[in-house]
Amino acid sequence: MNQSEWTRRAFMYTAAGAGAAATLGRIPGASAAEGDALRVWANPGVHKVGAKDWSAMASQAGIEIAATAKSARADESIQKMVVGDGNKLFDAITDNGGGMEDAMASQKAIVPIDTSRIPNWKNILPVYNEGGLAAHTIRFEGKVYSTPMISNADSMAYDFKALGFHPDSWGVMFDSQFKGRVALQNDFGPTLTNMGIYLKESGKIDIENPSNMKPKEVQAVCEFLIDWKKKGQFRTFWDGFQNGVGILASGEVLMSSCWEPIQIVANRKAGDAADIRYGTMKEGHQTWNNMIMLTKGGLERGMDAQYYNLANVYLSPWFGSRTLAGLGFAPQMTGVDAYLKANAKDFPEGTEARVLDILTRKNARFAVKGNAWQNVFPTHIRDYQDWWARLQAA
Amino acid sequence: MGENGIQKWVFYIPVIFFVLFFAAPIVLTIVFSFFERTQFWMEPGFTLFAYENFFTSARAENYVFSMLHSAAAVVVSFIIGFPIAVFVRRRVAKAAQHRVILLFILPFMISELVRVFAMRPVLGRNGVVNNFLIDIGIINEPITVILFSPLGVVIGDVMSFLPFMIFAGFLAMEAVQNYVFEVCDDLGAGPVSLFGDIIVPLAAPGIFAGSVFIFVNSMGVALVPTLLGGPGAVNAGLIANQAIVALDFPLAMAISTIMILTLVLLLYIGHRLFDLTKVLEPIS
Repeated sequence: MNQSEWTRRAFMYTAAGAGAAATLGRIPGASAAEGDALRVWANPGVHKVGAKDWSAMASQAGIEIAATAKSARADESIQKMVVGDGNKLFDAITDNGGGMEDAMASQKAIVPIDTSRIPNWKNILPVYNEGGLAAHTIRFEGKVYSTPMISNADSMAYDFKALGFHPDSWGVMFDSQFKGRVALQNDFGPTLTNMGIYLKESGKIDIENPSNMKPKEVQAVCEFLIDWKKKGQFRTFWDGFQNGVGILASGEVLMSSCWEPIQIVANRKAGDAADIRYGTMKEGHQTWNNMIMLTKGGLERGMDAQYYNLANVYLSPWFGSRTLAGLGFAPQMTGVDAYLKANAKDFPEGTEARVLDILTRKNARFAVKGNAWQNVFPTHIRDYQDWWARLQAA
Repeated sequence: MGENGIQKWVFYIPVIFFVLFFAAPIVLTIVFSFFERTQFWMEPGFTLFAYENFFTSARAENYVFSMLHSAAAVVVSFIIGFPIAVFVRRRVAKAAQHRVILLFILPFMISELVRVFAMRPVLGRNGVVNNFLIDIGIINEPITVILFSPLGVVIGDVMSFLPFMIFAGFLAMEAVQNYVFEVCDDLGAGPVSLFGDIIVPLAAPGIFAGSVFIFVNSMGVALVPTLLGGPGAVNAGLIANQAIVALDFPLAMAISTIMILTLVLLLYIGHRLFDLTKVLEPIS
């Protein structure tokens, strides 16, 4: 970087930072001048807001970001960060909580973070400090290794117009009147966890922990699904965002276990033909979060200040309100409702009411007692795999 | 280095390419399939666990289903594609034949993902086919067996890979001399016996080559069962892919090895039946 570039960048960051500092609580001493761009390996679809590229995120953080797109596949992350050259290439990475931070930390691919360097950490949702499973998703051996950015409680989308009622139980998927009009996600993790929650809470199968089922429990859940598959209850198991949207928006299925953004986009796409909504299941939901981690290589290259700046944005109401308004993900900080009220002019008309409605329903889902956290690497993962193959073959 | 030296190295480039990008990956795939699985990767060793796991789980069953669907796609592609190849060869003016055949390349200019995904609004419950059949009064209720079903996968495979049969069939037909047709006409052979007794046997090596392309792609391309298959539909490629997603790399390598062996066996049978060296012989 030459002197003129430095001056231009410093000016841009100063200008951008002036606005950001008011809402974010800027980190003293951390600026773009401290190094080159933060090389982030992240899912571009869900880990940035404010612009089509990363410019708004960079502007808010007061740093320069060089982002590389990654998928949500665990194998991709592990191969790159544990076996491959991920630590040479990336200063920070995003991924699933509830397993991936343990895997990365145990292999020394990521480093513990100093939460005192993230001013907005004081706003983090209380669950992350209460010592439960949510708190565990960002920790390894008691140390905090990641900053949560989004979360959700995955549920079922349904066409209210066709059904005429609001399902409040996963059991509706196994009502024979909807034979051939039901879809599940083609992924053994979330599907078996959600079905495990349903079968446990409805008293059909004795399951100790739906997040980490024993072989016999996995077998019982899969045999239940195999039975219904043979009866023709399922139309398909969807794989991929557009696929999930398509089956709902086209009326191919009336209900589907899916991510909330799929419901939002499918409802928009269906127009007047359907009224696709996202339910709250009384048995519970698989809850999950995404987080950003500082790589060992990033720390060694002195990119920690930039990481903390970006982490601070992820815990700001600026990010939380926009991820909630866009894809419907839960913000990881308090104060989003107040921020929305104070900054209503920055959003399209009606956003505040719509977003607060999503947040209220989301909080209702998070409050269900039977919820279970996502577990990327369950202890008996091979049993999950093998029984999933049996379900596929049935 | 003299001119002869350079020429010598240029000669070896295809060999080096073959070893680096074809032989070595296959050898490594086979070797890795015997490695021990670790939590996130694998370590050197010798175990048959991945193969045992494959054959004692439902994966073997899924693999056989995948072979059956692929074989069905080959048969349907032959029934549709080979007559097209014969028609172009026999009925289209010589000068225009290659241009007509090139038209079948056009679908390949579009991403396979888009092509397969585009089948959904055609075959779906509220799709073009069902709406048309309902409009003309042939059916009252949508036909659901053509999408998210084994039939949907076969339709997708045929739509995706049919050009392989047309190209291979056309090239095979170039080897069938015109006088053969003239002799058949003179002897009063009907179209059925001409096709079954003369054309197919003569074009058999080419038909087999096209069939192998379709079979292998149907077995390996995961998009089709993912987008058009029923609940949990898989093919061999998808089974291997799912093993990788679950970080079971030796299992993925074992499945890939079994796919390689299946192909080798198929080629061996084809060679014994049709003498595949004829496919590579110059057309006289």
